[in-house]
Amino acid sequence: MTKTKFLIWLRLLWMFLKVNLLSPSGPASVGLLYKESVGTIMSEESFVEAVGFSNVLPGSEALKLAMFVGFAAGGIPGVFTALLGAVLPPTIMMFVVSAILQQFQQEDWLQGFVKGMSPAIAALITMVAWELFHVGQTKKIGRRTLLIAGLSAIALWFEVPSPLVLLGAGILGVFLYR
Amino acid sequence: MDILLTLFWTFIKVNLLSTSGPASVGLLYHEAVGRFVTESQFVQAVGLASVLPGSDALQLAMYIGYAAGGIPGGLVALLGSILPPTIIILGVMMILHRIRREAWVGNFVEGLAPAISILMLFTAWKIFQKGGETSWMGWSIGILSLVAMWRKAPERIVVVIAGIIGIIFFSS
Repeated sequence: MTKTKFLIWLRLLWMFLKVNLLSPSGPASVGLLYKESVGTIMSEESFVEAVGFSNVLPGSEALKLAMFVGFAAGGIPGVFTALLGAVLPPTIMMFVVSAILQQFQQEDWLQGFVKGMSPAIAALITMVAWELFHVGQTKKIGRRTLLIAGLSAIALWFEVPSPLVLLGAGILGVFLYR
Repeated sequence: MDILLTLFWTFIKVNLLSTSGPASVGLLYHEAVGRFVTESQFVQAVGLASVLPGSDALQLAMYIGYAAGGIPGGLVALLGSILPPTIIILGVMMILHRIRREAWVGNFVEGLAPAISILMLFTAWKIFQKGGETSWMGWSIGILSLVAMWRKAPERIVVVIAGIIGIIFFSS
């Protein structure tokens, strides 16, 4: 009995290591995770529910999904195994790369690289902003979303601290979307 | 010690007020640039996070934490990013049947989304301006990248190519 449980945890760990090594970001990992987990460790229905829940709760998407899948397969220990698998690959890689990069902060080529990357990053952020706006509107298109967007724009223009703006928007959402 | 606490609190806050890794960039920019990292380092962090595989949120935390406070800084920032979703999810699992999608948590996040989009547009503009290349060259890189991503070109490749163009034209 304990041996089969152990096997499940091991399999979870391996699966999340793999998914997080192969997908570029949290949202992108959903497709891969679907193929890996549906049918083998959880039903399609509970997977859809997991994705639904990770969309409505705050925090990193990849982590939330990992925890739901881990829970479905192996209970609370499964949660932590999946979490470990999802956290290790991206952070270790990033650690190595950033440690190396800190040595080159004053180099000309890095300055050029950053200068070239800045407009592309700005474009990337704009794209994410657009997608977010779109996804938020799936069911309730219209005035309420535009109202929150408009108010946020005014608040940010007058340099209200951004955490306050977001907090206010969330609270507004609680009342408006009821 | 002080910086570690500030890092920890900052990442807790950012991860409570954003819906996913890429969506946290806007808020993180305002919280981290000038305090923990320079403008240039932040752009590097976002660039790397979109190039390397795995969760963006964790990679941003790792880079910024490490740049600000070495290895302890990286670990503390990581912990700050992992804790909020973990605690919330464990809570949801315990009372899974009481919290449903129409609950106020869902509405809170739904209200967050448009505000995050606007915040990100502001951030995109600031990063573009402070990147130092607002000449026609900078504009063309920005617009070309936008079109490429619109056409579903992989983001990591767009970002790397833009960087290489930068090395060729902007490093003196």
